[in-house]
Amino acid sequence: MSYFSDKINFISPRWLVFSRVVAAIFAGYALATTSTLFFGQLLLTSVGKYEAVHIGMLLSFPIYACAAMWVFSVASAQKAWIGLIKLNVILMIFTWLLVQANS
Amino acid sequence: MGVLLSLSFITMSCFCLAMEKHRKQIIMVELNACLSCFFRPLAWVLLISTFYMSSQLYGWTIGPVVFFGMLIGSLVPLILLLTYRAKAIPLVAILLPIVVYIS
Amino acid sequence: MKSTFRQSMKWLHTWVGLVVVWILFFMFITGTAGYFYKEITRWMEPERPLISPEVSKKQMLHLSQAYLTEHASEAERWRIQLPNSRDGNLRVRWTQAAKEGKRRGKRTHKILNPTTGQEVAELRATGGGFSLYRMHYRLHYMPRLVAYWIVGFCTMLMLIAVITGVIFHKKIFSDFFTFRAKKGLIGWLDIHNVLSVVALPFHFMITYSGLIFFLTTYMVLGFNLSLTDSQQDEFHKQVFPDTLAVEQAEIAQTLAPLTDMYLQTRKYWLEDTLDNVTIKYPNDVNASVNFERLETDITYNHSDEIFFNSNGKLMTVPAREFTPSGRIEDGFISLHEGQFANSVVRWLYLLVGLIGAAMVASGGILWTTKRKPKQDKKPNGADFGYRLVEQLNIGSFVGLPIAIGVYFCANRLLPVGLENRADWEINCLFISWALLLVYPAFRPAISAWLEQLKLAAVIFTFIPVLNFLTTDKHLAITLPIGDWNYAGFDLAMIAIGMSFSFAAYKVKQRIVSQVGNKSITSAVSKASTAKLAQNKGAM
Repeated sequence: MSYFSDKINFISPRWLVFSRVVAAIFAGYALATTSTLFFGQLLLTSVGKYEAVHIGMLLSFPIYACAAMWVFSVASAQKAWIGLIKLNVILMIFTWLLVQANS
Repeated sequence: MGVLLSLSFITMSCFCLAMEKHRKQIIMVELNACLSCFFRPLAWVLLISTFYMSSQLYGWTIGPVVFFGMLIGSLVPLILLLTYRAKAIPLVAILLPIVVYIS
Repeated sequence: MKSTFRQSMKWLHTWVGLVVVWILFFMFITGTAGYFYKEITRWMEPERPLISPEVSKKQMLHLSQAYLTEHASEAERWRIQLPNSRDGNLRVRWTQAAKEGKRRGKRTHKILNPTTGQEVAELRATGGGFSLYRMHYRLHYMPRLVAYWIVGFCTMLMLIAVITGVIFHKKIFSDFFTFRAKKGLIGWLDIHNVLSVVALPFHFMITYSGLIFFLTTYMVLGFNLSLTDSQQDEFHKQVFPDTLAVEQAEIAQTLAPLTDMYLQTRKYWLEDTLDNVTIKYPNDVNASVNFERLETDITYNHSDEIFFNSNGKLMTVPAREFTPSGRIEDGFISLHEGQFANSVVRWLYLLVGLIGAAMVASGGILWTTKRKPKQDKKPNGADFGYRLVEQLNIGSFVGLPIAIGVYFCANRLLPVGLENRADWEINCLFISWALLLVYPAFRPAISAWLEQLKLAAVIFTFIPVLNFLTTDKHLAITLPIGDWNYAGFDLAMIAIGMSFSFAAYKVKQRIVSQVGNKSITSAVSKASTAKLAQNKGAM
C-alpha cells in the first residue's frame, strides 16, 4: 500500500500538470458550451434564435483556446480549476437570468 | 498577377530598407537620415496601393486573398535573397517589373 | 506554470506543439496535396484522353446532351462538367431516383471523348487524389466520428500553439525578415520563426476554418442543449439556405437543346467561363437547368448561376439569403478549400500549405536540436523520449513524403485487374510509412536522415520514369501537346525529387564536416576523461 501511496504522490509536479491538462480539456470544453448557451440567449432578441446559437458556436473556439491558455498561465492547478468552475457557474447563472428575461 | 507580384516584392523590399539592420545588408553606402526615413512611409503607401489594385482586379473578396498570397509569395524569395545574396535585391526589384512588362 | 506569463506560454507552445506535430504534418501534407486532388486523380487515371482544345463548349454540350438522353433518360439528375484548367476532361454524371428505403439513388459517372461524344474506355480502379485529400480530415482505417474528433483535437492544439507562439515571440515585426543561415539551434529557430510569421494570416485562417468545418460535431453539447432536433433542421435551413427546390410534375417532356441556353448565358455573363451544368428532372415539364460559371466570389454569388426551364426559357430564381454569420462561416470554409482559386492562386495555396508543413516540421526538429547537446552528454545514451521524438521526426518528415511517392508508384505498378485495387494503393502508402517510421530506431539519427532523404530523392525522380515506362501519357508526349495538366504532375515530381536530393546533399556535407571535427574532439575528450579518472582516483 505504501508503495502505491509513494507512487501516486498527488503533489508531485507531474500530477499537477496532468490536473491542469484535464482542467484545460474538460472544464475548458464546459466553458465553451456554457458560452454558446450564453450567447444564444444574449443575442436572441437582436438577431433571432438560430443565428444567435450560430454566433455562439463560432465564438466558442477562441474562448476554448483562451481558457486552455489561461489554465497554464495561473500560479497553481487548484487556482485554475476553481477559476474555470467559477466562470462556468457565473455564465450559467447569467444564461438562466436571460432565459427568464427573454420568455 | 505578375504586376501584383512585382509590386509586393518592391513593397517588402522597402520595408526591408526601412530597417537599419537590413539596410546595411543591402546597400553599402551610408544614406543620410532624411532619405532613409523615407522608406517606411513609401512602403506603406505601396502596400495600400497593392491591396487596392488586387481588389480592383479580382473583386473585394478574392482580391484580399490574392493580396496576402502575393505578399507571402514575394516574401519567401526576398528572405532567401536577403540571406544569401542581399546585394542583388535592388537589382531584382528593378528587373522584376520590366520582365513582367515585356512578357 | 512558470514565473511569468510569457514563460508559461512558451512552455505551453513547446509541449502542445510536440504532442500533435506528426499528425499536423500529416494533415498539412495531405491537405496541400488536396488543393490539387483533381490534377492528381487525372494523372492516376492515365486511360483518360489528352485535352483537345479545339472542341468548342457548344459542341461538347451538344454531345453530352445526346449521350445523356441515350444512356440516362431515366435519371432524375444530370450533371455536365466541362473541361477546365484543373481537370481537362469532359465528364457527365447522373443520379437515378432513390429506391424504396434508400437515402439516395445510384450515381454513375463517365468521362466522354469530346470529339466523338463516346465514353472513354474503362478506367483503372484508383483512389486518386481524392483519397489523399480525404485522409486530411478523415484519416484512415477508423470510424468517421473518431477521425473527426482526433483531427479536431489536433486542430485545437494547433490554434493554441499559433496564439501562444504569437504571444511569446517578442519581436515579430523587427525580426520579420531575419533569417540567420547558421547551423544548429539558431538556424532552426529562425527557420521556424520565419515560416510561422510570413504565413501567419494563413495559419490562423486554416486552423480556425478547419475547426468550424465540423462546427456542430465539435460543439455538439452546446448545440444539443440550445436546440431540439426539429429546431436543428430549421437551423441548417436558416443559416445555410438552399436554392428553391423543384417538384417533379410527372408529365414527360423533352428538354430543349442546351446549346441554345448556352448562347443565352454568353449574352448574360459577357464572358465564356461556363464551368458546369446541372439538370434536375431532365424529362419532366418541371425540369430546371442550372448553368454555373467559375466562381467569382469567395462566398455565394447569385449571378454565378443562371436557371432555365424545360423549354429553355430563362427563369428567375430568388437568391439564397444567408444570415450574416452563415455568410462568415461559408466564407471561411471557402477560404479553407480554395475552390474559387484560379491556377495562380492555387499555386499560392500550394506554397503556403508547404510553408505550413515546413513550419510544423521545423518545430519538431527544433525540439530535438535544443535538447541534443544535453542528451549527447548522458552516459547511457539519450533518453527514450528524446530518441522516440527523433525517430518519429525522421519517419514522418521524410517518411510520409516517401510513402506518398510509393502510393503514386503503386498506382502504376499494381495489376489493373487486382481486387480492391484502390484499397491496396492506400495500404501500400501506410505499410511503407510504417516501415519508415520504425527504421530510424535501428540507425544513428544522422544516417537515418541521410538514407531516407536519398530514398525520397530516388523515388520522386523515378515517378516520371515509371510513368514513361508504363503509359503513353508521359512528358515526351504531354509537353509538345501542351497538356500542362498531365505534364505539371511529372514536372512537380521532378522538382520534389530535386529538393530532396539537395537536402540529402546538405546533410551529407554536414556529416563530412562533423567527421573531420570528431577526430579532433574525440582525441580531446579521451584526454579529458583520462584526466577525470585520475582526479577521481586521487579523491
